[in-house]
Amino acid sequence: MASFERFGDMCDIRLKPKILRNLLSEYVPNEKQPLTNFQSLSKVVSSISTHKLLSESPPASIDQKLQAKAKSAVDDWVDRLLALVSSDMPDKCWVGISLMGVTCEECGSDRFFSSYSVWFNSLLSHLKNPASSRIVRVASCTSISDLLTRLSRFSNTKKDAVSHAAKVILPVLKLLDEDSSEALLEGIVHLLSTIVILFPAAFHSNYDKVEAAIASNIFSAKTSSNMLKKCAHFLALLPKAKGDEGNWSLMMQKLLISINVHLNNFFQGLEEETKGTKAIQRLAPPGKDAPSPLGGENGGLDDAAWNSEQLIVSRVSTLMFCSSMMLTSSYKSKVNIPVGSLLSLVERVLAVNGSLPRAMSPFMTGIQQELVCAELPTLHLSALELLHSTIKSIHSQLLPYAASVVRLVSSYFRKCSLPELRIKLYSITTTLLKSMGVGMAMQLAQEVVTNAYVDLDLKSVEGFDASRKPSLTNGALLQACSKKRKHSNKSGVEADTSVFEVGVPHNHSSSPISLKIAALEALETLLTIGGSLGSDSWRERVDNLLMTTATNACEGRWANAETHQCLPNKSIMGLVEFQLAALRAFLASLVSPSRVRPAFLAEGLELFRTGKLQAGMKVAGFCAHALMSLEVVIHPRALPLDGLPSVSNLFPDNNPMASQKHNTAKLNGITHDGDDLRNRWLGSADGTYNNEIQRTSDTTLPLQETKRLKLGNDLATVVSLSVQDPKDMVASENVQQAEKVPESTEESLRDVSDKGAMAPKDGDREVVSVTQEGEDLVVKDSLMEEAAIVKKKESSGQSDDDPIPSLQEGDFFSDSDTDTD
Amino acid sequence: MEIYVIASSSIDGGIGCWDLKSGIEQLRFKPCASPAHGLTAVGEKFLAASQLRNASASSGSIFYWSWNKPQVEVKSFPVESIKALAANNEGTYIVGGGTSGDIYLWEVATGKLLKKWHGHYRSVTCLVFSGDDSLLVSGSQDGSIRVWSLIRLFDDFQRQQGNTLYEHNFNEHTMAVTDIVIDYGGCNAMIVSASEDRTCKVWSLSKGKLLRNIVFPSAINSLALDPGGSVFYAGGRDSKIYIGAINATSEYGTQVLGSVSEQSKAVTCLAYCADGNLLISGSEDGGLCVWDPKLRRPVLTFRHGKSPVNNIQVVRKTIVANSNKSHSSWKRHGSALPPPLDKYERSGEDAMDGIVIVDPPPLSDVPAYSSFLSADLIDEQVKELQQQGSAATEIEMERLKLEYKKSLQMNDQWQKNYEDLLQVVMEEQNGGTN
Repeated sequence: MASFERFGDMCDIRLKPKILRNLLSEYVPNEKQPLTNFQSLSKVVSSISTHKLLSESPPASIDQKLQAKAKSAVDDWVDRLLALVSSDMPDKCWVGISLMGVTCEECGSDRFFSSYSVWFNSLLSHLKNPASSRIVRVASCTSISDLLTRLSRFSNTKKDAVSHAAKVILPVLKLLDEDSSEALLEGIVHLLSTIVILFPAAFHSNYDKVEAAIASNIFSAKTSSNMLKKCAHFLALLPKAKGDEGNWSLMMQKLLISINVHLNNFFQGLEEETKGTKAIQRLAPPGKDAPSPLGGENGGLDDAAWNSEQLIVSRVSTLMFCSSMMLTSSYKSKVNIPVGSLLSLVERVLAVNGSLPRAMSPFMTGIQQELVCAELPTLHLSALELLHSTIKSIHSQLLPYAASVVRLVSSYFRKCSLPELRIKLYSITTTLLKSMGVGMAMQLAQEVVTNAYVDLDLKSVEGFDASRKPSLTNGALLQACSKKRKHSNKSGVEADTSVFEVGVPHNHSSSPISLKIAALEALETLLTIGGSLGSDSWRERVDNLLMTTATNACEGRWANAETHQCLPNKSIMGLVEFQLAALRAFLASLVSPSRVRPAFLAEGLELFRTGKLQAGMKVAGFCAHALMSLEVVIHPRALPLDGLPSVSNLFPDNNPMASQKHNTAKLNGITHDGDDLRNRWLGSADGTYNNEIQRTSDTTLPLQETKRLKLGNDLATVVSLSVQDPKDMVASENVQQAEKVPESTEESLRDVSDKGAMAPKDGDREVVSVTQEGEDLVVKDSLMEEAAIVKKKESSGQSDDDPIPSLQEGDFFSDSDTDTD
Repeated sequence: MEIYVIASSSIDGGIGCWDLKSGIEQLRFKPCASPAHGLTAVGEKFLAASQLRNASASSGSIFYWSWNKPQVEVKSFPVESIKALAANNEGTYIVGGGTSGDIYLWEVATGKLLKKWHGHYRSVTCLVFSGDDSLLVSGSQDGSIRVWSLIRLFDDFQRQQGNTLYEHNFNEHTMAVTDIVIDYGGCNAMIVSASEDRTCKVWSLSKGKLLRNIVFPSAINSLALDPGGSVFYAGGRDSKIYIGAINATSEYGTQVLGSVSEQSKAVTCLAYCADGNLLISGSEDGGLCVWDPKLRRPVLTFRHGKSPVNNIQVVRKTIVANSNKSHSSWKRHGSALPPPLDKYERSGEDAMDGIVIVDPPPLSDVPAYSSFLSADLIDEQVKELQQQGSAATEIEMERLKLEYKKSLQMNDQWQKNYEDLLQVVMEEQNGGTN
């Protein structure tokens, strides 16, 4: 009978229980039926989340019968899961636990709230049970974490939730001791992170134990570096558990001491001994109590592996990563960031480059030096990351240290040649520029330009080699180019190696694409923040460089990620990124304020135009944006200000970009108002208005002309405007407007209209004469008064009362507006 | 987000505070008699104002008020009377300009005097931070305007090389500078300055020179910038508010927005509120007036008192959703306000202890976020289980096969050895018997 039931469509609510029951019988194992196909589980999960099968529909919406059906289906589902969870077979148990986690996420809030306690206990029993298998434990950790996440969204059970969360911690710590497999560790760390974020109070009594357990894991460094980072991240979150500022500082102090102690060992013979002792002294002044070492008394500082360079570096990098995470994650209370110590630590690490000071050379063997040098890049990278997060964390308060950071960065830039480290340096530079602004641009500009010039050097990279241009512009090759990337080099008619190489970004070339992208981003930021600063020095060079880079990057082959989807190729994506970065930086160089007209405007417009037509959507989208940004450069908008004399001949010695910068921001609203207003005004004075509109309404840009008419001592300004929006004209208002012309100004009006009549007649014209006698006479623009009146009329429907009560007519000598047509 | 207008006067009348939307007066912070440009909101955290004191007093004074208490909470006494006071946007530093022309820079969180330098030959009248807080523009009684790069001020290395401390030095004003505003142009910003010499001057930050000079009929007390309109408003001593165009072509391109009072009391201060585009003026008679500059008419008036208003600031405050909670947490952490400002620069070890105190983000009550992982884990584990059926076991199989082969070979070897040995023994035995 049920099979004859018809459904409305795929969204029919009656479908839900059916599908759920079907899943339950077909794919989910029961006590007797073993699990056959693991793949089916994924299917179950995906259909649960697409159809929202477990969310029982809200009670008000539908009839009782349907609701009961839905409820019983979910009841069955939950019962089955609980049965599976308590099963002896590890695979069934695993299925039950995993699906329980999904249920916690998906089920209705009433059901969750009434039964979370039961579910929690059944999940927890597997963590406590020493006999349970690893896969079961991992799944339980994740499911408990999901359960707690859901629980945290109920605000009325805070206390109960905390007590539940607290029950997890001890069993989990025990697990950490027993079994240190990667998968389990990941599950445990995720669970602990969830608890520390959602229910920090749960850690209260076990804080030190947790710290010690995680720290020992980091020190033993037996897991992958990815896993170590996760541990470090958790350790960074741990101070939240107590929530006060002292705890944060303590953790930071411990980390820094531990890092420095490790470094003392590692750098033996590579730096002066005093450096290390000074650093430690600074962190733990002799007078005060030193904090207990990280992870308790036996914090792994003197164990057997002490001599392994690799282990030390792995520890130090992890601890540095932990410090970085502490700096960048937000806290609820004030934190005291030991910027001085952090910076001196970074400085200390970056100062060691593996060379031996002369006095030290007898104490170090060649093999020792070799081992140290192999690990140094990793260490430097971590130190740079730490510097980066320090800068990010203190924003503007870097100020007192900014000069020394700039010196550190620029001196390291000169020494450093490894691409990975240079990429990091560029991102630090970018952050510095963004967070400190113009002042920082003044300091860093030269450094950024010099380095980017080296890294973007066109000759150094094959594939983007300027000297290969001739072969690239060869038409046949151009077309074949994209095909060649897919097929082998045989397909090319003249498939000499150089052509083939064009399509393949080289990993072994002197500066890899990612480094170039970083350099381009740094240049772009520099131009955005301080483009006008370099007008005398570096600007021209940079503009040139960016133009060449952008044209070469796009020369003949617009990266089109979409067409290569059949071939998910990382190198193509890299190419898209590179083109985007190059185009972005090029646009910045065209738009960034400068004293001269952008030299490569024509090249830029052409490049963006072709890009818009030919490239893939991502690049084409950017090209369209670039064309829009450049539109205001080719058509500088000298829009009239609010009734003020026109601004078209702004700065006689300036380029139009500077002016456009100020004008574009406000444009439309005002022009509209202004034009509208003038329309009315013109209409009121001249009957031929409508004809004029027809002549000029198809002009897209306001035609601008300004003339200053000197009448003896008097000063007059002529503002001319074309009409844009004639629709709003209403005849009755014109009459009112006409009546409003102040009589007192008729004398000067005549005067001006004589002069104004000489102006050409192609367009609507309006003369605002502003006369001034001496300096103390103030002139008022009656146009603006009109504006006030019109606006008021529009808003309130009233007419003709003076909008500015405090205006004193006697103060103004004259105001006159007239039409020359 | 709420917008408040705060105003103070040179004669004691406290600091008035109004909600701009409703026009209702809030707390009045007392006592306060501050010089022009001597009032500032420090971030969103608290209010600070330098105090006018009688000439006999040897030191100046700066008071702090927290937003929810009308009484002075923290009093600092710098070495000299501070005329102009300004804080950066984040509220982490306060700069003060003294009567001697010295400029002081304090760190708010610790009260440390980080830097003190000789800025001008006469009293500093106004201090303005650039949009990104990296530059400081100061104006003085002697008519000079200087642009300082804060980063460079802290660069002792460059200092020792004897470079000039300032980036630009503008000397074209012939009388005291009364106000300075800087627009949003970033590195290409325009600086507009007003002076008692009846002019406003527009300067280019990137070129470091005078762009234009605009003459007004009266001395200009104060400026406000319409950030989007390339227009600035100038409050004159003749009770008029003038409109000037930054890009004006003429020397006299001035128009009047309106006049604040019938009795031609001077406009003493101006402020622009970008939210709703409102201009707020303060006048000598103690009134505040909110203008709609488009309509050119006043929309709202406040009364501060009888004495001339000489400071107006528009302050935006984010409202913490749960005000009760934030209040209790303030109590827990003791006084919400930082310690008083130091009188002298600290020396020796204490000077740079290298600690920076960072405040939590204003909205620290953001709910903690954690994501569900079970569904992903299932996919991952399923994949893992299937892989065990393929790659891992295959490799294991191969290894075992290889080992089996090796053992077979080994077995053969031993067998052979044994047979050899046996043969030798047999032969020996045979030989013995023979």
